[in-house]
Amino acid sequence: MSSRHRIRVTVNGRAYERDVQGRRLLVDFLRHDLGLYGTHVGCEQGVCGACTVLLDGQVVKSCLMLAPQADGRTLTTVEGLAGRGELHPVQEAFREAHGLQCGYCTPGFLLSAVALADRGVVLEGKSLRAELAGNLCRCTGYQNIVEAVERYLRQTVGSRRG
Amino acid sequence: MKPAPFEYVTAETTEAAVAALERFEGNARCLAGGQSLVPLLNMRLLRPAAVIDLNRLSGLDHVTVDDGRVRVGALVRYSTLETSALVAERIPLLARAVPFVGDRQIRNRGTLGGALCHADPAGEMALAAVTLGASLRAVGPDGVREVPADDFFQGPYTTALAPAEVLTEVAFLDGRGAVAAVAEHARRHGDFAIVAIAAAGLPGPGDSWRWVRIGLGGVAPRPLYAARASALLAGTRLEPKAVRAAAEACLADADPASDIRASAEYRRHLIPVFVERVLAELRERRRGGTR
Ligand SMILES: Cc1cc2nc3c(=O)[nH]c(=O)nc-3n(C[C@H](O)[C@H](O)[C@H](O)COP(=O)(O)OP(=O)(O)OC[C@H]3O[C@@H](n4cnc5c(N)ncnc54)[C@H](O)[C@@H]3O)c2cc1C
Ligand code: FES
Ligand code: FES
Repeated sequence: MSSRHRIRVTVNGRAYERDVQGRRLLVDFLRHDLGLYGTHVGCEQGVCGACTVLLDGQVVKSCLMLAPQADGRTLTTVEGLAGRGELHPVQEAFREAHGLQCGYCTPGFLLSAVALADRGVVLEGKSLRAELAGNLCRCTGYQNIVEAVERYLRQTVGSRRG
Repeated sequence: MKPAPFEYVTAETTEAAVAALERFEGNARCLAGGQSLVPLLNMRLLRPAAVIDLNRLSGLDHVTVDDGRVRVGALVRYSTLETSALVAERIPLLARAVPFVGDRQIRNRGTLGGALCHADPAGEMALAAVTLGASLRAVGPDGVREVPADDFFQGPYTTALAPAEVLTEVAFLDGRGAVAAVAEHARRHGDFAIVAIAAAGLPGPGDSWRWVRIGLGGVAPRPLYAARASALLAGTRLEPKAVRAAAEACLADADPASDIRASAEYRRHLIPVFVERVLAELRERRRGGTR
């Protein structure tokens, strides 16, 4: 028997209270219980990173967490990035650098990039690729993704420092 | 796929976790970082009656030094090990091994205790624990016991833990002043190793080494401490002759299997190559002062 749990979470600044089964994956909770379909599901085994979200500001794969584990925590999904009618700087950078094709992997990459900026690290090339290794893309060959993230980090962290 | 139904239980103390494990009579699993357990649940390779979440348990996320030992709580996450100044200074091998594990997301969630309990024969944490002769503390219905790393790992995904025991802490000898290196061969960075060799050593007078410890991962059903090779290297300057003798001793200790990642023959070929590589890196790091 699957147990049931009442959980309270803050997602993209909004508070939610829901009943979930113990076995409910966090990614399915976001998609099916909250209707936030921007977080994608690829492999369900922690490999592809399509389900990447921020949990209290840190990137995690939401297919490897159970929804009740998020009780009392704060989450950010891709829906939390853009302002009203305005792209988030990371989204702007991906558009400028042509950092996406089909877009399936994109929400995960965007959140990985935002977490890097929040840590205040400007990385490029090989060391940036190592930080993004938890996100897979089947379309782009990564070159433009890496360029987009480099551009975003330089702008955001660079200007914050300067 | 999605997990089969189970009861989700949060444990706020170690005692509560042990009691919950007992209540489900061996048919429950602890949930630490979930980075190995949840994939197994999703694929329904495991269908426990209950999952006991340890993440709300306080007091198992410490890194402390006392009495010549560095104690690391079972719930310390990889990301903490990666950035802890204390770990870098006192358990340099652990600090060197962590970046080889998975990726950023995995390291934000995965824990030292979870990695050890999962006991993947190619896992870097188990390799570091065996190489350094760490001691693991288990708490169960009959109380507390300490298990040497060498006895803890019994085979692939098999440990000495009883079904109702919880791993709470890992104690490492204080490795202050030691130099450490890891050399591994994997299909992709962050993937499980085909062969992983770990080494730690304490510089002695001149170019000599007081002691060197070598560990072998992915070359047997469990990680191995290469006792003979380590003994051969103590007091040497890691000169080519000593290194070759150590590499041969490592090869003799190994018992590699063929699996989806590589054949046994290929693994045997890699062992001496990577032993030489890890020892060269050890010398380099000493010279460069990058421990
Ligand atoms: C894409 C991917 C890549 C990876 N790459 C690597 C890699 O390169 N190298 C590597 O070593 N690992 C790798 N891993 C595995 C990762 O390191 C896991 O984090 C680790 O093996 C398990 O730690 P955890 O805290 O997540 O434990 P969990 O998944 O929560 O638990 C693992 C097992 O240990 C038991 N357990 C956990 N904690 C305790 C405890 N305190 N007491 C008793 N039992 C306990 C659980 O019941 C379960 O059976 C990878 C995982 C993924 C998804
Ligand atoms: S769906 Fe979570 S990592 Fe692939
Ligand atoms: S753009 Fe299609 S998977 Fe990355």
